[in-house]
Amino acid sequence: MNRRELLGAVSLFAIAPRIAFAQADNAAEIAVAAAKQYAGTEINIVWEAGLQSLDPLNYSGPKWEKLTGIKVKVVEVPTDQMFTKIMQDFRSGAGAYDALNVIPSWMPDLVRAGALEQLDPFVQKYNYAEELTDIAPAYRDNQMKVDGKIYGFPDDGDVMILYYRKDIFEDPKMQEEFKAKFGYKLAPPTDWKQFAEIGQFITDKMAPKTYGAGFFRAAPYPQYMFQERFRTEGGKFFDAATMKATVNSDVGLKVFQGMLAENKFMPPGVEQWNFVDNLAAFLQGQTAMTISWPPYGRWAAGYGLDQEALNWVPKTQIAGKVGYAMNPLGRPELGVGFALAVSSASKKKEAAYLFIQWLNSKQTSLERVQLPYTLRDPFRTSHYESPEYRKLWPDAGAYLDTIKLAGEKGLLDLSLLQQDKYDEAMTKGISSLWAGEDPKAVLDNMAARFDAITEKVGVDKQKEVYAAWAAKPGAYP
Amino acid sequence: MTERTKTPKSKSVWIDGISSFSDRNFKYLMIAPAILILMLVGIFPLIYSLIVSFQNITMTDVDTSFAGALNYKQVFNDARLWQALMHTATITAVALPLELIFGFLLAQLFLDKIPGRQIFVALLVLPTVISPIVAGATWRLMFDVRFGPIAQILSAIAGAPVNIVWTVNPYFVYPAIIICEVWQWTPFMFLLLLAALSNVDQSQLEAAEIDGASYFRVLRQIVLPAIKPVVAVAVLIRGLDLFRIFDVVWALTEGGPGSRTETISLYTYVIGFVQFDVSYTAAVAFLVIALLTIVVTLVIRRMEVSR
Repeated sequence: MNRRELLGAVSLFAIAPRIAFAQADNAAEIAVAAAKQYAGTEINIVWEAGLQSLDPLNYSGPKWEKLTGIKVKVVEVPTDQMFTKIMQDFRSGAGAYDALNVIPSWMPDLVRAGALEQLDPFVQKYNYAEELTDIAPAYRDNQMKVDGKIYGFPDDGDVMILYYRKDIFEDPKMQEEFKAKFGYKLAPPTDWKQFAEIGQFITDKMAPKTYGAGFFRAAPYPQYMFQERFRTEGGKFFDAATMKATVNSDVGLKVFQGMLAENKFMPPGVEQWNFVDNLAAFLQGQTAMTISWPPYGRWAAGYGLDQEALNWVPKTQIAGKVGYAMNPLGRPELGVGFALAVSSASKKKEAAYLFIQWLNSKQTSLERVQLPYTLRDPFRTSHYESPEYRKLWPDAGAYLDTIKLAGEKGLLDLSLLQQDKYDEAMTKGISSLWAGEDPKAVLDNMAARFDAITEKVGVDKQKEVYAAWAAKPGAYP
Repeated sequence: MTERTKTPKSKSVWIDGISSFSDRNFKYLMIAPAILILMLVGIFPLIYSLIVSFQNITMTDVDTSFAGALNYKQVFNDARLWQALMHTATITAVALPLELIFGFLLAQLFLDKIPGRQIFVALLVLPTVISPIVAGATWRLMFDVRFGPIAQILSAIAGAPVNIVWTVNPYFVYPAIIICEVWQWTPFMFLLLLAALSNVDQSQLEAAEIDGASYFRVLRQIVLPAIKPVVAVAVLIRGLDLFRIFDVVWALTEGGPGSRTETISLYTYVIGFVQFDVSYTAAVAFLVIALLTIVVTLVIRRMEVSR
């Protein structure tokens, strides 16, 4: 080989990824082509411990390594420690994490601290903007940006919808008796008054075998339900001008009284039910309605329950009997969720970015949301419309149609600086409510705690963040 | 010549000086490494925490400047903190005497050589070897309304469903914690008291019996004075344990309902390791140290006086 040929070969080798990049026609392929230049390296990604992390451990991590030669090390962290671990890594400057899973409501805190890398330049460089428009509006418009800049890719279609027992609701005798008593058709409730009437009716007719409804009432879950109901009933968390908490308004009181009254037609001890208690009761046919995240719908249909990782999920007794509907008043809470981000302390930002673009892309994410053993829920229009997904179980089409609607109408979680403290105040307040404390006193105490937190963070600083949050389309109905 | 004679002499004085210093201070040299390590692991963190308590360090804020006595001012205005202290004191005040009384009664029961005594003692001691977090989680299941044996037994006795939500109902939540705590730690008291009771001078007991002294008189005038030092130590150890109670409460109630059962350890954990208010947590820790120091000093002084 002469010098010219050698130079040509080297040049070709050097530009090969770019040629592949230019030829790639979707975000996943672009990411793979560009990432090949980092073959032989390793990136660390923070992922929620447990089922969630089986995605990168068993599926996406090995696949990415096969495609690009980049090894993915999954750092499993319990949800309640994720924020802390990410901040500790950033503060120490260790750069131990390259890519991150972050809960969108943390993003203002993480961005303000400087822990997240701005993703706009990468999005532009790797032609990802178009595929981002496929992400359902509730996630795309609310969980992606801080101060108008992209810091995370919404990657989990967390949203709480209503699951109900079709066989009970469609029973002619039940329908007839219900119509005679209340004057309207027995159908999924469209407001909370209907929810209470239907719930009580079913409990009266079928308890203790089946109760009208069951919810997870133990901390920290009910605060998401409170956030949703409070806003759909017309409540505002703060006075935007003064940043004084207004959760103790008449709306707050109405919501609290409603939640308290509903416990009476739910199974005894519902106040201490967590995610699994509620799931078990619904899957075993002990409750006719519940509100929860999308995995309930899949597991109720029996999808994926043959997987070893899901052997803790009770065997469903209600497969084929479950209907899906929007929550009363039609604006469901998005409730937590995950966004993929890049750590600003990472020393391999580009490789980390390419991995999250590939994970989040239309092509790869469709494969990931169908993994039965992880908890990633559909979050793209293309997921909802996927013929492949719609065939996974007989009612999968109806399921996807409902979560699509929820993904358009969803209300995002309150997201302020030091949001965890406001969340804790709500959680503690609701817990006091279950213990029989006066609802008004609980709300007043909650408002006082909100004000104390705001005062400590800084009223002006928080006012600015609240205004940005409240301006998002999913903040208030 | 002068130099020649002077040099060895001065050298000798110097060596003698060192030797004499070494002799006098050898003991200090020997314990110096231990003191150094103690200072590094004990005193330095204490001083550093004190400095931190006057700063404004949080997980999210980049400003870590000195905040004067702001955190200490906040300590005195923090209603949740004082409530947490009150909850801790309540649990301690109820659980400690119960553990002492039950431990003493059990020890009395096992003082006589009954058949299978060793097996029963070993079985009784089992709860203390269980991790408190496991004990709390187990009792949470025991108290469960739907599946817990307690609800089922109560329902069987009452002849109707008894739906007490132990970990939510404000009237039952403290009994739940105290039942779990007493169940787990009474055997500790029992063991110590059994050992103490076994060492009471038998000749005195026999003499009292011959003199016709009543059980309670023997107890008051012979047994209790004899076991008093052991009781004092047992109470001090368990008192301190109860003051820092965390695991059982965390597993049973997580401090709920609301903050109704939040103890000082739980509260410190939440502000320190969940909310990462580092400086404020340091201030709270100093308050706790101050309170504990006062209590322990008083107790030890009392023990010394009574001895």
